[in-house]
Amino acid sequence: MSKRSTAPIFWLLFGAGGMVAALIGPALILLTGVMAPFDLGVSFPDYGTLLAFARHPLGKLALLAVIALFLWHGAERACLTLRDMRVGPGWLLSWATYGIAGLGSLITLSLLLAIGF
Amino acid sequence: MSEYRPFHRPQRPFWWARAPYRGYSLRELSGVGVALYGAVLLAGLACLWRGPAAFASYRAWLATPGSLLLHLLLLAAMLLHMVTWFQTLPKTMPKLIIGGVAVPQRRITALGLATALLCCAALLGAAIGAAS
Repeated sequence: MSKRSTAPIFWLLFGAGGMVAALIGPALILLTGVMAPFDLGVSFPDYGTLLAFARHPLGKLALLAVIALFLWHGAERACLTLRDMRVGPGWLLSWATYGIAGLGSLITLSLLLAIGF
Repeated sequence: MSEYRPFHRPQRPFWWARAPYRGYSLRELSGVGVALYGAVLLAGLACLWRGPAAFASYRAWLATPGSLLLHLLLLAAMLLHMVTWFQTLPKTMPKLIIGGVAVPQRRITALGLATALLCCAALLGAAIGAAS
């Protein structure tokens, strides 16, 4: 039996992350990085509100989707480009980039579970 | 006997930073920007988990000029990602045929960008509406 490629898995995560980022990414950065911290149009939600958001199942889903998929999107782009640039052996570049995204996803998942329901 | 001697076209150093590859490299770099923003959010989630004091310091960091500069750079990367994503979309998806005629690639790009702007406007509108 021939060994099946794992590329479609990473390609799917890359595509999903890219689509989410393209649709709402600019608005998200504007909200969390520019408007909320400097009280421009929106006020920064207090700790309790954000904790309640992270404890709600839908909030957890949104956080996991945005954080993990963004990480996987960047990992795929970085991996393929570093391979094109011949920075190092392919297996090393794959492990480094997908490794960071996988570790980040695991940490996100653990934090979301640790934060409670 | 045949010997494995592949031809390697000589390439200038830093070819990826020069035309015509520069645009391609910038687009790929925008993907790394997307991941960096994910990491910034992950840091916020970690601080949220650690407690109110840790979250207050995360919030204080968000209000520093350095954070603002980082977020403006990430915003530029995200906008580049948005435009290039929908420019690439019609090339990667199956040909869209409506009424026996292939929909032009530029129209698919325009439609995708319009959808993205609508999504962004809806999100911003909801956030501003919830605040007021």
